[in-house]
This record gives sequence, structure tokens and C-alpha cells, in this order.
Amino acid sequence: MKKVIDRRRKYWNEPTLGWWERFYLFEVLRGFSITGGVFLRNMKRWITGGKGALTAYYPEEIRADYAAHNRGKHVLTQRPDGRPQCIACNLCATVCPARVIEIEAGFDPDDPAHPKYPKRFEIDYSRCIFCGFCVEVCPEDAIRMVRQVPGLPVPDRDHGMWLGREELLTWQPARDPAKPYPPKEGPK
Amino acid sequence: MTAIFINGQSVETGDHTTVLQVALANGFHIPHFCWHPELSVVGNCRVCVVEHEGRGVGIACNMPISDGMRVLTDSEPVRAQRKAMLQFILLNHPVDCGICDKAGECSLQDYHYEYNGETAISGDAKLHSTKFFPLSERIILDNERCILCSRCVRFTREISKSNVLGLENRGDSMLVRPAEGRSLDDDPYSDNVIDICPVGALLSRSFLYQARVWYLEPTPSVCPGCARGCTVQFWHRKAEWRLSGLDERHNTRVHRVTALENPRVNGPWICNKGRDLPELLDRPRATQALQKGAPVSLMQAIETARGLLDQAGKRVALVSSWGSNEELRAFRNSLGDYFTSFVKPDHLPLEGEVVEDDLLIRADKNPNTRAAQDLFGTAAAEIPDDTELVLVWGEGVDFGTLPRGVKILFLGSWLLPENGHADVFIPISIQTERRGHYTNFEGVVSPFEACQPHRDGVIDAETLFPLLSAPGGSASGGGAA
Ligand code: SF4
Ligand code: SF4
Ligand code: SF4
Ligand code: SF4
Ligand code: FES
Repeated sequence: MKKVIDRRRKYWNEPTLGWWERFYLFEVLRGFSITGGVFLRNMKRWITGGKGALTAYYPEEIRADYAAHNRGKHVLTQRPDGRPQCIACNLCATVCPARVIEIEAGFDPDDPAHPKYPKRFEIDYSRCIFCGFCVEVCPEDAIRMVRQVPGLPVPDRDHGMWLGREELLTWQPARDPAKPYPPKEGPK
Repeated sequence: MTAIFINGQSVETGDHTTVLQVALANGFHIPHFCWHPELSVVGNCRVCVVEHEGRGVGIACNMPISDGMRVLTDSEPVRAQRKAMLQFILLNHPVDCGICDKAGECSLQDYHYEYNGETAISGDAKLHSTKFFPLSERIILDNERCILCSRCVRFTREISKSNVLGLENRGDSMLVRPAEGRSLDDDPYSDNVIDICPVGALLSRSFLYQARVWYLEPTPSVCPGCARGCTVQFWHRKAEWRLSGLDERHNTRVHRVTALENPRVNGPWICNKGRDLPELLDRPRATQALQKGAPVSLMQAIETARGLLDQAGKRVALVSSWGSNEELRAFRNSLGDYFTSFVKPDHLPLEGEVVEDDLLIRADKNPNTRAAQDLFGTAAAEIPDDTELVLVWGEGVDFGTLPRGVKILFLGSWLLPENGHADVFIPISIQTERRGHYTNFEGVVSPFEACQPHRDGVIDAETLFPLLSAPGGSASGGGAA
């Protein structure tokens, strides 16, 4: 006679079910009420101002437990005329221990006070270690790190984790202690 | 034999006549802006001060040596005067190193950190001046950065003899300007002033803001622009500073060309044609082997070429004067017996180009004619009408001038319409993708190194020639005769 081996694992906490549990229907309803309760509570908090929900909306929402000086994503500051403050000196790119900042410089002979500007400014977040050296070294207060984290999720995988000039220049605080914000002539 | 004492150490003076020369030759560093080994002494920057013991402080670049004199390069009064001099030079200097292409190889920067290190002590506002004065199609002058050392002026007077540049006005408002009715565009050596300018006042338009210099490294090479074969440095991006988010061209391109000092050939100078080599090297490349215009694999093309070689009766080769010594020798050893070979000029003088002068530029616009002619003779190409196969190696041959119906085997590097007209076209590598030597018109042999990646589908001529002559189809790897 062939011996039938029961290959199912035995668990140390094998549930012992009474008839009430075995009846199934009431226990399922109890489960639904727990998840439904959390869902409705989150939903209500979200509708009434978005504070205190158990889940944070990433990346739109900043997690409540980030420090005020969290080194999140980089931003490029702007001159009063809306152009980037950056002079493409490459000091940030040179000091960066992960070597993730890449700048292509342009020449603007019409602005003799700021003839060098970044045509392209790219940061690779797949390698950035968020050390903040780039911010510290910048002689122009042109690059800063803000509390928000970079919005890296993208629908396709070929995009990489680069943030470019356009995106870095979108930072528009209502005012700023060090610079006249918002730029008089609007962003350029 | 004269000997002097520098910082208490006795040194031989050799053929030198000034304290600065003796000091530099013996490893004592004395800062200097206006003095240049190839130019006359003007003594206007006054940072080269040294102390002649018992006689006080004076400028070393114009201090004649006398036997047994004792000189101090780093005494207290010397340090104080140097420091004061640097403060003075920086009086109106904008110190915009952050956007200056010279930063990293600027004497003023280095001397400041070494001998001054203090912020400005003057409270006066800096005077402003012209920021981007167009000196020529090639060069921009930033008068704010200029320290008025007059090296550039003396270069155009004493070396290139174009007498283009001069100094205008006096004192604070002194400016480097072109002399009336002259233009730096007419000086075929003008770009040397960019190199000898001790600061970032003279800027190359083609290199402007292309890269900070510490991202680049030089590879020694030889200019193929003419038979002088000046030794040059090709500056390209260091591997550790490779960019991955920007255009790949930034990583492989030759960003600038400077002279590689070589007393036997070009001294410290090169002409503007040498500076423009990146344009020549950036022309579209041929990377696809062709058979009567149709793309084939490289091995297939070599196989067909071998077939042509075996079948043809009368064979003539037009040998490139841009081939390296190694390639020319490989050609002679592998294919010399197959062909009647002639050396051809790949390049002729272009319209408007200086054909020849008595400084550097030679009329023969090819780097290795001398070595090629040593191997294959100086006779001009003569192709009999009953020739069946012509091997054309390199540029400069109009296929229309070849006998009608002749089979053409063409080895070239550039994307040209001719490629498709040849019976077989095989793409070969260019100078920056391989190492080798050129022999200049005086017989001086200079080496060049590879500094750009080898392209896919392209073969070195040196590797190709033995494959073409190999008996019995070894090119296809078959081995059977
Ligand atoms: S935070 Fe640090 S690693 Fe990230 S870009 Fe700046 S310097 Fe580089
Ligand atoms: S250090 Fe500042 S000014 Fe310089 S390139 Fe970076 S962001 Fe621009
Ligand atoms: S431009 Fe340069 S080389 Fe010419 S005088 Fe000024 S500092 Fe000297
Ligand atoms: S003189 Fe001739 S070899 Fe020298 S840089 Fe000019 S073209 Fe090149
Ligand atoms: S180098 Fe001697 S004065 Fe300029």
C-alpha cells in the first residue's frame, strides 16, 4: 500500500477555530468593518484638510516627521529678473562626492555681469547621497535643498532618476530672507 | 664657470644671464608674470623680486649675475614686497575666477594663494573696463582681468611679427588694443597669446565655457596640419569626470589643442591651424564597409579586396602621407610587392591659408610625407591606362582622374561621396584612435598617443595590411588555401 505523505506544513500557531469562526460569515463582516473603519477615517481626514491620515500621499505630501531642515530635493534660485542665479562655475559638480551634478554652460554676451549661465543642469538622484556639500560650496547661493523629497516616480523606466534645469527652477517661494522673491519679471 | 648663491646654496649659472633664469633652471621657484623665456625682458609686473644681499631688493628677471653674488628668494623684505605687489595687481581685478576659463592654471590665482592669501586691503571701488572686447574671430579680451604684463603685445612683435597688439593710454586706463589698421585675424599664430597670458584675459571663443580645466587632461600628439609636425597636446575629459546625463560628445571630444613644448620642432608655439584640429577631427566618420556602395561586413569587404588583389594584373597604390611610420612600414612589408606605390598629398593648402612662412608653417600640408617618401620614393603618381586595380589610401584623390574602368580599393576615414564609388571601401581609424609616430620634414620623429575610443566597424590600417596580403583567405578565418 502506498503511504500518503501529507506535505502541508504544520504551523506552530495553527488556528483552533470554534464553531463561531467556522461559521465564517460573521468573522468576515467583522474584518470588513475594521478595514472599512480605517478607510473612512482616513478619507474623512483627507477631505477635511489632509492632516493626520495614516498614509502620506507620496510624493505630493511631505511626511509629517521630516525635520524642518530636511535635505530633500535640490532647487536652483533665481535672480530678480527670473534667470537662474547659478553661474555654472561647476564648484558643486566638483565637490560632489558622488559626482552626480552635470552642467553644460552657455555664454550670454548681452549680460556682461553674468555672462556664464547653465544651459543644462542635471542631478542624478539614483546616486545622490543628500550630503548637502553642493549647497555649502556654492558661492552664489544658487543651489539649495528644500524639505520636499524629489518627485522621482515616473511611468517609464527609461527616464532614469535625473532632475533637470526646468524642474530645479520651479521653486517659487512667496518670499525669501536672502533673495527678492518672487522674481519681478517672472520665471524665465 | 660662474657660481652664485641662492638662499645660501651655491649654483652654477651655465649660459644664463639673469638671476631668474638661474633660479628657475636650478629648481628655485620665483613668481613671474611678465617674464617669458622666449620674449624680451620688460620688468613691469615686479612680483619676481629677490634680495641681493647687501644691495637690497630688485627684480630677478632683470638682475644680471655676477660671480659670487648672494641672493635670497624668500626673505622678509621680499615676502613683504611681493605681497604688496599682488595687492596692487588685484586692485582693479574682478576676481571672477568662478567663471574664468583660466582658473586652475592661472598664475595670479596660484601666486595669490602662495604669496598673498589676504583679502583686498584697499577700500576703493574697483574700476570697470571692457568685459568682452572682440580682438578677432578667434579671441575675446577681458580688459578687467588683464594685468598689463604685455606678454601678448611682445609676442606679436617678437615672435609672430604681425605687430598687431599695442598698449593704449596710461595707468588705470591702460588697455591692450589692436594697433590702428591692424587685426589679430591676420596673425596665423594669434592663439598662442591665450596660452602665454598669465591670467584669463585672452579667451578662446571655441573653448569658452566648454569645460573647467581640471576636468580635462592632455594627451601628447602631433599636429598633422603640415610637414612641421608640431608636438601638441589634445585636451579631453578625464575618465573619472565622465558625464552620463549630458551629450556623450562631451566625453570623447578634443576640447582644445595646446602646444607641447619641443625645442627640436616647434618650441612652445603652434599655429592656429593646429588649434582648429578638433573641427577636422569632428567631421562625420565612415564606419561602414561598402562594396560598390552597398553595406557589407568588414570581413566581407576585406575578403573581396583580397580577391581583387589576386585577380588584378597591373596594380598601383596611392599611399597616404597621413599614415604613421608604423602603418607605412606595415604597408611596405605586406603589400609592397603587390603594388607600384606612389606617395600622394592627402591635403593641399586651403584657400586663404598661409602657405609657408619662416616661423613654423610649411607648404606641404601633410604630416608624414618625409617618412612615406623615404619608403616609396618621391616620384609623382603616374597611373598607366592598362592598370587594373588602384588602391587609394586616405583623402585627396579625385576618382575621375583615375583610368576608366579601373577597380578601386579605397581606405578612408571620413564620410565622403567617393566611398560609394569605390569597388571596395574599408573604413580605417584616425590619428586620435591609435598610437604611432610621424617624421617631420627635417627627419625628427615624434610620437602620438590615442585619446579617443576606437569606433566600431573601423580597422587600423596597420592591422588591415597583413590581412590583405595573407595567403588563402585567412581574413575570413578559414585557413584553407
Ligand atoms: S547632496 Fe551631496 S551627493 Fe547630492 S548632489 Fe549635492 S553634493 Fe552631490
Ligand atoms: S556651485 Fe552654485 S553657481 Fe556654481 S555651478 Fe553649482 S549651483 Fe551654479
Ligand atoms: S592680455 Fe594677458 S598677456 Fe596681454 S597684457 Fe593682459 S595679462 Fe598680459
Ligand atoms: S605649423 Fe604646421 S604642424 Fe605646426 S601647428 Fe601649424 S599646421 Fe600644425
Ligand atoms: S617677471 Fe620680473 S618684473 Fe615681471
